[in-house]
Amino acid sequence: MTMEPKDSVVHVHSLCKAYQLGETEVEVLKDVNLNVARGNFITICGPSGSGKTTLLNIISGIDRPTSGKIIVLGQDLTVQDEDFLAEFRCDNVGFVFQSYNLVSTLTVAENVAFPMEWSRKPEAEIEKRVAELLETVGLQHRANHFPAQLSGGEQQRVAFARALANDPQLILADEPTGNLDTKNGQKITQMLRMLKADGKTIIVATHDPEIMQLADQALCLEDGRLASKNE
Amino acid sequence: MSKAAFPVNDLLRRKIQTSLTIITLTLSVASTLFLLLFSRRIGFGITSVGGTLTHGLSIVFSQFVLFVGILIFAVGAVITSFIVFLMMKQRTRDFGLIKAAGCPNGLVFGYFITELLTVTFLGCVLGVVLGVVADFAVTNIFHFQAYQKTPDLWLAPLVFAAFFALALIFGVKPMLDASRLSPIKALSPVQYFGLSTGPKLKPLSRFGLTLKMASRSLFRRQSASIRIIILLSIVFVLLTVSISGGMIANDTTQSWIENATGKDTILIAHSSMGTQYKLLLSKFVGATENGDFDYRHESLAIPNAILQQLNSTPEIATVDARLILKEHVQEVSNFTIDPETLVTIPVGDSREGDSLIVGVDPDKVTATWSLQGRFLNTEDSLEAVIGDSISQTMFSQPLYQSIRLQNQTFSIVGVCVDPINNGKVTYVPIEKLQNLTNTSNPNIVLVKLDLSADRSATLAQIKDKITSVNSDLTVFELDEVLQENLGFLGSAWSTVMLLPLFTLMSAALCLIGYAMLAVDEQRQEFAILRATGVKPNAIITILAIQSIIVLLSSFAVGISLGVITTLLILVPNPVVTTVTILEVAALLFTALAGMFLLSLYPAARFAKTPILKIIT
Repeated sequence: MTMEPKDSVVHVHSLCKAYQLGETEVEVLKDVNLNVARGNFITICGPSGSGKTTLLNIISGIDRPTSGKIIVLGQDLTVQDEDFLAEFRCDNVGFVFQSYNLVSTLTVAENVAFPMEWSRKPEAEIEKRVAELLETVGLQHRANHFPAQLSGGEQQRVAFARALANDPQLILADEPTGNLDTKNGQKITQMLRMLKADGKTIIVATHDPEIMQLADQALCLEDGRLASKNE
Repeated sequence: MSKAAFPVNDLLRRKIQTSLTIITLTLSVASTLFLLLFSRRIGFGITSVGGTLTHGLSIVFSQFVLFVGILIFAVGAVITSFIVFLMMKQRTRDFGLIKAAGCPNGLVFGYFITELLTVTFLGCVLGVVLGVVADFAVTNIFHFQAYQKTPDLWLAPLVFAAFFALALIFGVKPMLDASRLSPIKALSPVQYFGLSTGPKLKPLSRFGLTLKMASRSLFRRQSASIRIIILLSIVFVLLTVSISGGMIANDTTQSWIENATGKDTILIAHSSMGTQYKLLLSKFVGATENGDFDYRHESLAIPNAILQQLNSTPEIATVDARLILKEHVQEVSNFTIDPETLVTIPVGDSREGDSLIVGVDPDKVTATWSLQGRFLNTEDSLEAVIGDSISQTMFSQPLYQSIRLQNQTFSIVGVCVDPINNGKVTYVPIEKLQNLTNTSNPNIVLVKLDLSADRSATLAQIKDKITSVNSDLTVFELDEVLQENLGFLGSAWSTVMLLPLFTLMSAALCLIGYAMLAVDEQRQEFAILRATGVKPNAIITILAIQSIIVLLSSFAVGISLGVITTLLILVPNPVVTTVTILEVAALLFTALAGMFLLSLYPAARFAKTPILKIIT
């Protein structure tokens, strides 16, 4: 068994994940091992259905492994209950989904604010942080609009702003440019570059060569197994 | 897949929604049919006032049954409309997809009208069966054996047809609206969410945030929310009228019967006369008296010696000697003057019939009647008080008219509610009756003991005294008959109060349907919230807040209208005690709490679903 390195933000050991499809068991992840050091930018590529999203979901605590160990920021996520995992995600993990996943009943500003409201941050701090984040993603003028009134690129930028709201140590992004055109994709890449410069730990599942160029380590998932892209 | 198979498979695919719709419709049909069958069976149905009980009581019952019937039917209509609306609302996106794939409007409408017809047919058939079974069961379980007869089954196809038509009328509208929606509108989020911007950011607490999300979703589903609030408001009116009205009416009518019969009253009479008197009182619950009974038979006369002995017993508070006869009576026509035109208007039609005639000493009666007008004043006046049934069947304006008995005319001064002989009774001064019929002695004596007296010892003393004078005389306790009559009234009201249970169940199912719609429409959002760090319990809280808002607004409207209806319209001179108010409040709040807890079922079920199963 590998030991968790001291500066490790994510430590994955012998991780397996299988789904039951009728009478057939489909193994999505097979003996995956991964260490992500603080401040590292990791990209994971792989064909559709290779398990990229599943791996990110398990790292964020949205999904649970069938076997193996997953330690994030010193917490063994495999032994925690739903309530702990919810609080943990809220305070420590920023997740950007491929399909944006904004709350349709909340405005852009409210979508960005709600992780902070849920973490019981002071009112003034929330207002200041929302303004900062919307300026960063260039959507101040859209603050009071609802998600359905935004384009895909704008929605993805809001999703990034929301993921950064609680200043999480770990940022996960699942094909963040997958649904976007080139221009909007570049804006997202620019944001990731900025986050890397800020020293955030980032794991991105992507096929986007521009994002891959930012990676400290590029990994590839194939047939459920993780390998370095160069291997 | 064939065109015909699609609707059936579609219904089977959505088992919970389909079952919910069928059960809801079944309960609505069943409650309406049961109400009609049962009320006709015991004689106070909407179309059969009078004949049983007494007229005054039948009127109270009939008004209730009519009002409750209208409400149940209205609830049925709203429920049917709501469930079809729910069916269609949950399918808006399906419509868009089907139409985007090239299915024409007519075919889409055809699919869903087939679904509607299937569901409605099943719901109505099951409802008719359940209604008939409920009528049969209640008649056999409660105190209604006396009213066992073949039910009026012609009502079944009538109710079936009415509800079938109702479902079609109220169901086709949302269906047409949905099938006419263009595919782009059905699939577009902008169409769904609108284009107006939201308010400026105002950071909130966790609870504030939860409340904001709950209320915004509720407002976004406003057409469904308004419908469910209207539906639940009518249900709460029905519930209030049935429960509070039922209890108040029960207390009121029981007090009428108890006062007219007299609680703790002792009857002294010849054994055959005593039995006949009890049968006359029990006609209220369906008993039949001896029609050939000779009330004037000399053996029935109570000797004066007994009256003297009773009057001289200190433990006895009241000695009410009565002469009871069955006589032919006639309505005496009269005239009234219109106060505005001063024109004389004839009143009455010289109708005639049989009545139980009771001669009483007005100063010594043991009973206090619920009266319109007043009771007899003096022993020697030619006045009469008539029962409510005879007043209805033989008189137009009884308080302006007279009654003729043995060629003697008595002015009617009051109309009373009295269970004896089903209210076909006439009270006159005993002295006048004795003179008219040449009868020198009363044939029954009603006795009330002093409250401080030792009841069993005094009863034994009375028995000794009367048997020493005449061994054929017997002492009867009337409480047994009184309790039987009160028990019957209680059972009848309990049954009326049972009816809203069906409706309450239907409404609870509708609320669950609404909660399912809420979960369905918000499932993606809830998954996002959970994925970004919101605990599962917060999702239940959001849905619980929505249920509370819907339930409390309906509760407030329904209870207010229900109380006003009950106290101002349905029960004349209501007897309202603190205990009744507490009982009614407890029952209504139990219903509210029960509905609230049931409405949380879809939320609780949803909160346990893994995030990945719901997020796209």
